[in-house]
Amino acid sequence: MWSALAWQDIKLRYRGSMLGPFWLTISTALLVLGMGVIYAHLFHTRTAVYMPYLMLGLIMWNLIGWMFNDACQTFLAAESVIQQVPIPFSIHAYRVVCRNFIILAHSLVIVPVVLYIFSVQVGWSLIEIIPAMLILAVDGAWVSLLLGMICARFRDVPPIISSLLQMAFFLTPVIWPIDALGIYRPLAEFNPIFAAIDVVRAPLLGVPPVPTSWPVLLAATLIGGGVTFFAFARFRARIAYWV
Amino acid sequence: MALVSLRGVSVEFPIYSGSSRSLKKVLLHATTQGNIAKDAHDRVAVLALSDIDLDIRHGDRLALVGANGAGKSTLLKVLAGIYEPSRGRVHAEGRVSALLTASVGLNPEATGRENIVMRGMYMDIHPRQIRARINEIGDFTELGYHLDMPVRTYSAGMVIQLCFAVTTAFPPEILLMDEWLAAGDAGFLIKARKRMEEIVAGTSILVLASHTMPLLEEWCNRAILLDQGRIIAAGSVADITRQYQESLRRGQG
Repeated sequence: MWSALAWQDIKLRYRGSMLGPFWLTISTALLVLGMGVIYAHLFHTRTAVYMPYLMLGLIMWNLIGWMFNDACQTFLAAESVIQQVPIPFSIHAYRVVCRNFIILAHSLVIVPVVLYIFSVQVGWSLIEIIPAMLILAVDGAWVSLLLGMICARFRDVPPIISSLLQMAFFLTPVIWPIDALGIYRPLAEFNPIFAAIDVVRAPLLGVPPVPTSWPVLLAATLIGGGVTFFAFARFRARIAYWV
Repeated sequence: MALVSLRGVSVEFPIYSGSSRSLKKVLLHATTQGNIAKDAHDRVAVLALSDIDLDIRHGDRLALVGANGAGKSTLLKVLAGIYEPSRGRVHAEGRVSALLTASVGLNPEATGRENIVMRGMYMDIHPRQIRARINEIGDFTELGYHLDMPVRTYSAGMVIQLCFAVTTAFPPEILLMDEWLAAGDAGFLIKARKRMEEIVAGTSILVLASHTMPLLEEWCNRAILLDQGRIIAAGSVADITRQYQESLRRGQG
């Protein structure tokens, strides 16, 4: 049911413009093209190495950023449904996750093209992105539930989340390499957002992820999932009154 | 066998006015012990239902009678499982369907046809089952080519026709209705009434909230009178409507 609802959302997005979510793909591609050349120069790296890194970083960042922003609206956007039919609240969260992964899939189409152009050697490590994506989907689910609840109760949270996200973008090695941090490297190593990007980006670039990435991501999943579980159990009954 | 029972059910509505909806203000309030943001605690709880005991069994057609704000709609939402009560227990067996307000989770950007499928899914009906009957449902709405246009272009009456057609296409065991059928043109009303009569005859339990006494007397066989969230009387429809009208007269006089 949630996947059907998510598809419906996507379909409506296509109705607005013929390209639908492909606009996002195109704008990402243009951004990568422009930034790739200049920033490769700034960071003294070869464009052929930097451009795929940048592209994957931005695609993953888009997923994470949109997911967080969307998560704020999990229950608010479904208000008229919640007020009308008793369906499990988790369905609204799964719908958000599913919708964002479908949008991600739109962006993924440029990945093989870019990897081929810059002849990136990907090996069997590629299959690592399957468990990585699964974990990210689980993270998406608890983020949607937790933020959805908080934002239903406190209406000023969504703008706070957007500003925090903007900060996170600059603090996380999305467009710049982690090695540029030097002695501040642990800052990124223990950043769950970096971990989430790294576990997908590294295998696609044919390199192993940073050793801390998987443990940090799993820890964030367990802690976040746990907190959400208890918060949901405690406040689930109130959601219908909040929206 | 459908059945609904409520034991000691109370519903408190938190009314979040203005600043208690703000996380910043609430945090500020907590850290400064209310010196700065005094207004953060203007959270008022309204007791919408108070200690309701109610048993509805197979074959019951229950009328909810009461003034506006007496708790009729809240009680329907509790029965539908939308509001979990603050205290007390609700036990329901059977597929519940609620016709509460007209907008019913429609997506204004999607077409009428897409909304029929979505609405069906919300009612836990498989899309395949809905698609099999979509033409029949579409015909019933009398919306014709409008069905392929976005719902945001519909008039209020058309929205109601659409919702009514889907919700009643799959008769539930327990049907909850708030009075909103008044919209829709006269021709549709006659059809809607006929469809309602069929459904009411087929469902195991009907709970109807209305101000239209003749309608209640025709369709219901039991009634409760609600006042300020309490059941103040229960009995036959005729008795209860009389009591209600007397209380209205007293209120005026």
